[in-house]
Amino acid sequence: MADDHRALLRQLAVSRVLSPIWVPIFTALMRWGLRWHVEEMAAHRAMYARLRTESNAPLLICANHLTMYDSFVIGWALGGPGFYLRNFSAMPWNTPERANFSSTWWKRVLTYVLKCVPVERGSDRKAVAQVLDRIRFLAERGEVGMIFPEGGRSRTGRVEIESAAYGVGRLISALPGCRVLCIYLRGEHQESWSESPINGERFRMKLECVEPKTDARGLRGSLDLSRQIVTRLVDMEKAWFDDRK
Amino acid sequence: MEATEIQERVIKILTPYVKDQAALASAGPETNILEDLKVNSARLVDVVLAFEDEFDIEIADEDVDTVNLVGDCVTLIGQKL
Repeated sequence: MADDHRALLRQLAVSRVLSPIWVPIFTALMRWGLRWHVEEMAAHRAMYARLRTESNAPLLICANHLTMYDSFVIGWALGGPGFYLRNFSAMPWNTPERANFSSTWWKRVLTYVLKCVPVERGSDRKAVAQVLDRIRFLAERGEVGMIFPEGGRSRTGRVEIESAAYGVGRLISALPGCRVLCIYLRGEHQESWSESPINGERFRMKLECVEPKTDARGLRGSLDLSRQIVTRLVDMEKAWFDDRK
Repeated sequence: MEATEIQERVIKILTPYVKDQAALASAGPETNILEDLKVNSARLVDVVLAFEDEFDIEIADEDVDTVNLVGDCVTLIGQKL
């Protein structure tokens, strides 16, 4: 096993040991500290639990991206502390931008403990490939990776097909039978992208599980898979706004 | 095909994706596509797909990881021809 993979397993072990502390704290912070609320949370959690139990095929979460806290909200919406403490592999691995979480020692500790694989956006392809390899390695072991296929927070506030990062498709190609849980998350007050949702924000979330397929090979295949995912998110965004009317 | 000809065609393909057109004028084998030419990393895959069409070659996912410099593109394409 490569040193990089051993380090990931070490990180997973540390995160798991400390989870009885951090999982309830972050849940309480979102629920009572920030007074965030996710509508139909019980239904979302039931769907995620069912996806986890009905198949051993790798599972990735691909979501739209509007704030730096989307992964926290999604993680919370998909499972409560009890569920995650019993099924720690269900707690998704996040892929935050390294620059956002490397400025202080405590942020670096948090990214390590909170199941994160930092990404340096715009870095050379070898660095990107290493991150994809880490997520693939974890997904093959029953862990769940969370990816934002637009490659960053949407600067227009809407899902942009042209921003589809092909790495998501490459990851799907490398994971035979991979299922993708597409998630569209948006707060009622979220007009565009921002650093953080407002206190008291009410989120509505849409979930769809797909198994993307393509006949194209190589790069074209990966790009096709990525665009299928982002296109699905565009459709879910339209449905989100239609529901709001 | 000569390396110089490949490089000329590579630079022509890169042109619409380059944000720093001044850097493109002096681009050579050591020019970094992302850092010097300011090509959006998300668009690099479109550049490589354009190489496939232009040179009628197939480039694997893993090969994209080797593409950082203009010279890397020339070497990769030369190997595939």
